[in-house]
Amino acid sequence: MRKSVILIVSVMMLLPWSLAANAAENGVSISLEHISVNLHDTKAIRRGAKLYATYCMACHTMKYLRYNKLAQQEGVLYSKMPIDQKEWTYPTPPPDLTLIANVRGADWLYNYLHSFYQDSKSASGSNNLLVPNSSMPNILQGLQGTQVLVNGHVRGYSKPSFSKPHWFDRLKLESQGSMTPQQYNQATKDLVSFLVYASDPHRIQRQHIGYWVIVFLIILAALLFFLKKEYWRDIK
Amino acid sequence: MENSTIKEQKSSGLIGWIDARFPFSSFITHHLKEYYAPKNLNFWYVFGAISLLVLVNQIVTGIWLAMYYTPTAKGAFASIEFIMRDVHFGWLIRYMHAVGASAFFVVVYLHMYRALMYGSYKRPRELLWLFGMVIYCIMLGEAFTGYVLPWGQMSYWASQVITSLFGAIPYIGHDITIFLRGDFNVSGVTLHRCFSLHVILFPLIFLALVAFHLVGLHKVGSNNPDGIEIRKDVDEKGVPKDGIPFHPYFTLKDLYWSVIFLIVFAAIIFFNPNFWGYFIEGANSVPANPIVTPAHIAPIWYMTPYYAILRAIPNKLGGAIFMAASIAFLFVLPWLDRSKVKSIRYKGKWSKWMLAIFVISFIGLGWLGLLPVDVWRLWLARLFTVGYFAFFVLMPFYTRWENTKPEPARVKFKKK
Amino acid sequence: MSKDQEIDEGRRKFLLGSTVAVGAIGVATAAVPFVGALLPSEAAKAAGAPVKVDISELKPGEQKTVIWRGKPIWIVRRNKEMLHSLGEDAELLRDPKSEEEQQPKYAQNEYRSRRPDILVLVGLCTHLGCVPSYRPEKGAVTTQWPGGFYCTCHGSKFDLAGRVFKGVPAPINMEVPPYKFLSDNEILIGSDKADIA
Repeated sequence: MRKSVILIVSVMMLLPWSLAANAAENGVSISLEHISVNLHDTKAIRRGAKLYATYCMACHTMKYLRYNKLAQQEGVLYSKMPIDQKEWTYPTPPPDLTLIANVRGADWLYNYLHSFYQDSKSASGSNNLLVPNSSMPNILQGLQGTQVLVNGHVRGYSKPSFSKPHWFDRLKLESQGSMTPQQYNQATKDLVSFLVYASDPHRIQRQHIGYWVIVFLIILAALLFFLKKEYWRDIK
Repeated sequence: MENSTIKEQKSSGLIGWIDARFPFSSFITHHLKEYYAPKNLNFWYVFGAISLLVLVNQIVTGIWLAMYYTPTAKGAFASIEFIMRDVHFGWLIRYMHAVGASAFFVVVYLHMYRALMYGSYKRPRELLWLFGMVIYCIMLGEAFTGYVLPWGQMSYWASQVITSLFGAIPYIGHDITIFLRGDFNVSGVTLHRCFSLHVILFPLIFLALVAFHLVGLHKVGSNNPDGIEIRKDVDEKGVPKDGIPFHPYFTLKDLYWSVIFLIVFAAIIFFNPNFWGYFIEGANSVPANPIVTPAHIAPIWYMTPYYAILRAIPNKLGGAIFMAASIAFLFVLPWLDRSKVKSIRYKGKWSKWMLAIFVISFIGLGWLGLLPVDVWRLWLARLFTVGYFAFFVLMPFYTRWENTKPEPARVKFKKK
Repeated sequence: MSKDQEIDEGRRKFLLGSTVAVGAIGVATAAVPFVGALLPSEAAKAAGAPVKVDISELKPGEQKTVIWRGKPIWIVRRNKEMLHSLGEDAELLRDPKSEEEQQPKYAQNEYRSRRPDILVLVGLCTHLGCVPSYRPEKGAVTTQWPGGFYCTCHGSKFDLAGRVFKGVPAPINMEVPPYKFLSDNEILIGSDKADIA
């Protein structure tokens, strides 16, 4: 019996690894810079929501956050979203972003917001490393400034055969916008934090309840263990 | 044991009133207190009870979800998000249901593996095994129709692929596909009938079959890790010498392990309900779009072994036939096993190796089915497909010819 | 029997009792989210938000119906004759002074309203929830009919302040919802608090 438990546990521990193998094959042409999103940081989420209301909400709806208090307080209001807009100048209408963090993941979103660069061939004047020929214009350009694509590498990047380049290996900041690179990193991290929050607003509450449920179940299991043992003493 | 005296006791009061009109107490006595199960049942025997627990979980949470879910192409996706965000504890109920679906398959696969190990499908339990197999097929149908309901991209394209599969049938395949979809393509009509099947037809059959499965079990009695029939060796009262009352001994054991299961279940629900995308896929967070297929589509993990077999065969009809055969072989298992003994403990080396190959092939196919296909994986999938089928096709030969060990007269039981 | 095989009944009882107690707490707690899920959702609560009504077009003697929390809300601009009739039928009414709590404090008066001319009522019969019809003309239902609301479901009768007549199935007066005037011609239904506009 102990053997079988060990078997099950080890199989369960192996599972995440096979997913890591999965993620490496999502067709991304650059390595994603990792960021850690802290959902306990409500201030960051609120700052992100404000940025969302200012820069994203002209085109992107966030329908399913309609009744969320935090979003409403920071100006992400259903009445201000382009819900009924039928005509768009883009080939595909901008997607709703409530669940985008579920689809893309935090790292992808953060890298996407850093990967815009000047491209005179593109209709919008900009292009993106993660989504080549993305129809989304570089809406945060005023904050970040303009970046240009560098052939070869910047910052001493020299191992193309071992790992894919990061966005900062391929792009160079030509002229700074209203934010310093550090401020822009923080702002985009805030925005991504809000998007992660929006995809699953009950996560903190869920985990909080989860601890209590598990502690309770462990107590119940302990009682049942001794009760079962007590009765099984009958069996010879 | 004081339990044997219960039969003579005449109950009074409400219970007595009921007993005069309905076999309440005698049912309890017959199926719990005086149902004798082998005392050597080990850890592997808890998954039957746990699967019942998961079934209850699915039914209760399902009732609640159906109160808020909208089975239309226009409203389905939004209604799931409504449940997840705006209904009080809707997220909990939905995660219990979605994680419960995966948990159900984990538990049932372990339950089936137990049967393979200890020969629980062999005479006299062939019908018990068949009921179980039909339950498993209904479960697959229930899982598929439920998977369609959130009407995300994965839901849509899964229903597209599964219904297209029937197009492989010669001559009438195309018409069957249209018949199943109720439209020329997968549409809201398809969604609506998936809802009906998922909440009414399949659960109804499911419950009936679970009842048959249990009635059948109590008719023939539980098998055990030694694979010998305890009812052949009884004392003067007719009680099997190696049998102990199901209640309280196995009710307590099953309850204990059920709570252990619940700890794992709760840990997933509260801390990682998507389970890294294995239980709820990220791509299903995009509403169904009939004009764009996601870059990588794979079924949910519990169906990937069959999907990998389908992909390993370079022919549409051939793939469908192999996939159907992979389940059909399980149905005829009781008649493929020609061994004198039931349990793997007393079977020969061949049986042990073949069971190992089968398990490795099944898990291997499941793993490959999750990944996009490439040349190496294709050949690996073919190798595992051969392993999977070899277990069944060669079974009549190796089980008959291999040397078995003698079964003991009494079950092996070590007091802890 | 050797010593370790004797049954320790006390220990058994204690373990059984505590397990059952803890298990019962677990089951009861598990029921909380399921009961909670049956309460109105966030969307239903938002849809139950106060409703603004413009009454500038409403002429004396006319009735207007709006929806608040899925219920019909009547607004009647009563004319002088109607207001006068309210004082005459007191002995025919079950609760002429509106002593039952079917209205906010500010509507517990002769007219059951904040302003004598404007009546605001939840348009549901207090018997079994049908929608009564507005019959302001005298003698329209019975020969002594003073004008009011008549429920065709089970024949309940109410006067032009929503007060129930004696001898009908409905037990109490019709409900006055919370409301307030935002201006002379604008009412907010669903809230009477100062801070919500």
